[in-house]
Amino acid sequence: MIQYILRRLLLMIPVTLLVTMGVFALARISPADPAVVFAGEDRDPAAIEEMRKELGLDQPLPVQYVAWLSKAVQGDLGRSFQNKQRVTEAILERIPVTFELGLAALTISVTLALLIGVLSAVKRNSLVDLLSTSVTLMGVSFPSFFLGVVLILVFAYVIPGHIFPPGGFTPITTDVGDNLRRLVLPAVTIATGSLALNLRQVRSSLLEVFGHEYIRTARAKGLRETVVVVRHALKNALIPVVTLVGIQVGAIIEGAVITEQIFSIPGIGRLAVQAIPSHDYPVVQGVVLVSALSFMVSTLLVDILYAWIDPRISYSAASA
Amino acid sequence: MRGLRIPILALFTVFAVVVGACSSSGGPSPSGSAAASGSAAAKANYGGTITFALENDVSNLDPMLSSLFVDRNIHYAIYDSLVRVDPKGNIIPWLAEKWTTSPDGKTVTFNLRQGVKYQDGTTFDAASVKWNIERYKTGKGSQRTGDLSAVDTVEVVDANTVKFNLKQPFAPLLAALVDRAGMMVSQKVADAQGADFTLKPFKAGTGPFILTEAVKNDHYTLEKNPDWWGKDSAGNKLPYLDKVIVKPILDGDVRLTNLRTGQVQYVNRLAGKDVASIKADSSLLYQETGSFAWSSMIPNEAPGFLFSDHRLVKAVAMAIDRQELLDKGPAQGVGIAGWGPISPAHAAYDSNFKPWPKADPEGAKKLVADALGPGKKLEFELLISSGDAATLQLAQLIQAELAKADIVANIKTQLFNDIVTLQQQHKHAGMTLVGWSGRLDPDGNTYDFVVTGKPNNDSAYSNAKVDDLMNQQRGESDPAKRTALLQQAQQIYVVDDPARVWFQFGLSNTASAKNLTGWSIYADLIPRFETAQLGK
Amino acid sequence: MAGTAVPLALRRTRGERLSGAWYFLRRNPRMIVGGAIVGAWLLIALLAPFIAPYDPIKVNPIDSLIPPSPGHWLGTDDLGRDVLSRVMWGSRISLSVGLISVSIGLLVGTSLGLAAGYLGGTFDLLIMRGIDALLAFPALILAIAITSALGPQIQNSMIAIGIVAIPAYARLTRGQVLAVRQREYITAARTIGATPLRIVLRHIFPNVMNALIVQATLSTAFAILAEAALSFLGLGPQPPYPSWGQDINYSQRYLPNLKWWMSVGPGIAIFTAVFAFNFLGDALRDALDPRLRRSG
Repeated sequence: MIQYILRRLLLMIPVTLLVTMGVFALARISPADPAVVFAGEDRDPAAIEEMRKELGLDQPLPVQYVAWLSKAVQGDLGRSFQNKQRVTEAILERIPVTFELGLAALTISVTLALLIGVLSAVKRNSLVDLLSTSVTLMGVSFPSFFLGVVLILVFAYVIPGHIFPPGGFTPITTDVGDNLRRLVLPAVTIATGSLALNLRQVRSSLLEVFGHEYIRTARAKGLRETVVVVRHALKNALIPVVTLVGIQVGAIIEGAVITEQIFSIPGIGRLAVQAIPSHDYPVVQGVVLVSALSFMVSTLLVDILYAWIDPRISYSAASA
Repeated sequence: MRGLRIPILALFTVFAVVVGACSSSGGPSPSGSAAASGSAAAKANYGGTITFALENDVSNLDPMLSSLFVDRNIHYAIYDSLVRVDPKGNIIPWLAEKWTTSPDGKTVTFNLRQGVKYQDGTTFDAASVKWNIERYKTGKGSQRTGDLSAVDTVEVVDANTVKFNLKQPFAPLLAALVDRAGMMVSQKVADAQGADFTLKPFKAGTGPFILTEAVKNDHYTLEKNPDWWGKDSAGNKLPYLDKVIVKPILDGDVRLTNLRTGQVQYVNRLAGKDVASIKADSSLLYQETGSFAWSSMIPNEAPGFLFSDHRLVKAVAMAIDRQELLDKGPAQGVGIAGWGPISPAHAAYDSNFKPWPKADPEGAKKLVADALGPGKKLEFELLISSGDAATLQLAQLIQAELAKADIVANIKTQLFNDIVTLQQQHKHAGMTLVGWSGRLDPDGNTYDFVVTGKPNNDSAYSNAKVDDLMNQQRGESDPAKRTALLQQAQQIYVVDDPARVWFQFGLSNTASAKNLTGWSIYADLIPRFETAQLGK
Repeated sequence: MAGTAVPLALRRTRGERLSGAWYFLRRNPRMIVGGAIVGAWLLIALLAPFIAPYDPIKVNPIDSLIPPSPGHWLGTDDLGRDVLSRVMWGSRISLSVGLISVSIGLLVGTSLGLAAGYLGGTFDLLIMRGIDALLAFPALILAIAITSALGPQIQNSMIAIGIVAIPAYARLTRGQVLAVRQREYITAARTIGATPLRIVLRHIFPNVMNALIVQATLSTAFAILAEAALSFLGLGPQPPYPSWGQDINYSQRYLPNLKWWMSVGPGIAIFTAVFAFNFLGDALRDALDPRLRRSG
């Protein structure tokens, strides 16, 4: 097991290198020249050249990459072209915000998925099943930015009392109540998008387990259906759900990109969305690196957890 | 609207000396604006926190590096500049109590307000002014070099007197010192913060509010500076408010929703489509005044490009229907149709300057036929910033109007920064659609856009006569003569040999909570909260 | 996968297959509903020039912002264009974004997966590390980065969404290939001297088909939403040709002004199309996945 984990960690290195090289190249394809964008009013060629030097853009691409990488491994992701903030600091500031939002969304989504999923699998192909799968699919069929705006407007103008404010963020350390109140609408927006996926997973893995011998045995023994479902089926069906949840934890940054924009939440997604079009390379590189790492680490954790839950799985001969 | 055209005679140096001398005896200026709004009675209402929703994220809090309009909304609260304007646009004393220009116009001497301290405790004096101006002139990445190009050296005469030696007389200097080029920053804070300064200039200014918290993309906290020098007309210390929280909310509708639900008390730069409903909302106060902003289409006139033949630019200028763009475009009637860059809020504005009072598609067709030969169509690429629905609406309307003159505009969207890069390198194929937030002095609305080789001359325009007239007006101290020069140049770069297609002036408008009083609206769109108070 | 050597479908006669299809259609109302809506949108996209009542592009400022009425069933937008006509024409761009980007992902992903799975060894290792990297790259951020690097154009959105979809197909295919590679019929084919390409196309590919169909249906839904999201971030297709994503972003700002009809048209279009593709995909998955069928 230890060996397996070490091997996986080792494999993360080439993948991380590929990702960072990818973002490095990608950022530099566009026609815009950051030196011109950030040089200021002084647009004579010498000043622009000087700005290019200051931003480190005068070096050949591989040199820039190695320079960036050697600092990155020490935790220094450089400074933003735009506002000179240290990228590491900018990311650390925003991680808790995005993480809280993502966890809230995930909690809503998984709880609902479990409840509806069990019902839906037990009553397979019934009206309940059809309704629950269709209704959750409707949720995923709305563009999240549209859903977000509609939620804001509904709670501002239609439902009296302004229960949920139209966007904004209060740190949990400042005011717990206000923090949670502001979290509800964006979390629901994100959860609506992933609910159908989670439900689908719960439902199909339950259905698969239902087909197994031991469930039939349990049923044959005359155990009550609730006992069969909760004690035997659900426990085994949860394994793929754990996988799914793990992957979603790793993809929290991704899921929050649009929603943070709508609800004015100062998270990592918003940082990325602003940095990409303004060609703020250090920020883009930093966000992608962090996001890729978090994805890979959580995938690894899922696999470890998987082995731990299900002893049948052995990693000694695991494929690459 | 006509009533909003306010002469800004004070812009002109000679006159400004007189005004400056007069008003310096009349006490600090905030009194004027507070009294003007009629609610600052002798009994002041102290305390309270308001939230101001900003249209965009702040980019640079260092006035030296700032190049975005949105930054100035915070600058004005934390920094004082040497001079300021009153709501009518007259230049008034601020950190400088008085100023005198030498008869040859080549030196300006400022007498500084005494006893002023930066928020970090260091003293504001002549040496500090010298350091600041030199920093703006030579600092790395400075955006202020253009504003101060005429300043040769700055001399400390004594602790409270500072002399600017100019390379040549420069009429727009004072107007530039109203804004970022005249904002005073504590050297100690700037040095200590280094590269972080532009992000977190804590206690860096002398202004009415102190920046105490800066969370990019989220909020900026401005707390009352208890030691600020300003007083209201009754002698009460300003500011009244305890705290102003500035919050960038990018979506215009979400911004307005925050105001309507009481999360926010002040919003500026409202979309035309929302004005009618805001006016109708009894819980909100709507105000508007003329602004210095204009909208334009920028052709690429560099050699080898389609619009190097300026007749084609003129054809486009003739073919568009400015009234329809104003009424049916995103402005929804909130604004003023315009033909040039000198706005109705400038003294130099000429209300009779309407070279094409109505769209003239037939005239445009003739011009195109002259330029391209009979039967040939003018077809060009109209490059617009992507992701902004209002810009897209405007562009499509322009496209439809041009079609009536057989001119084909192919709209292409591109990221804003990419457009800026293309424009600056004069590589855009046809025209772009980019506006300007405007400057107090007409020079700031014209010079850099039309004089050969200047930084904002994105159309690569060059006309020797225009260069000559524009340089003359900079040195002209007589307001009437200067206006004549400005208008003479405008006739050339708009009509005879067009540099761009100007078509609209903006309005400065605000919506605020009813109980927020005491403040005035300014043509430059920026709020001043030092005189604002929150009713119970 | 069932342990039988020959895929189930191949053993049946034509008649059996048809009645089988009818059987699960009846058992799967979701497939009928999903399929019907998808079919309807494809038809509208095909016939847009003939059935759209107005020119979707021509600006008529005089007719701006007319609420739904007999003349304009879904009203007009702020430039006086008929919303219904724009929705009909918009289906062309939105559905092509879906279809083309899915084809890119499918083609590239499946080829890589087949090659990696079949050839194995270093090649497999290299390809799969590349796929891992692509997967670790946050999808939407990747799409934004690609589109903003290449410029906001419809082809570029398609490419970006297509690239984002590659890993799913590649992994799916490779997994299936590994699973069937050692089966007897493959070994048999190899011993009688079939070329690798022939083995892959004739024997391996059919086994992956079902899973790929499901994945393709679902990722079409994702692509339509992704196009809308890119439009929201200013990276959508070029005007003036209407697309649902572009239009819903364009009209959204009129929601608080109670000019709701501008959003309703493209909103319903995106909603029904995405819903139908998802519904269809889910139903197909249930029908085609033998593990689930057996347990029914």
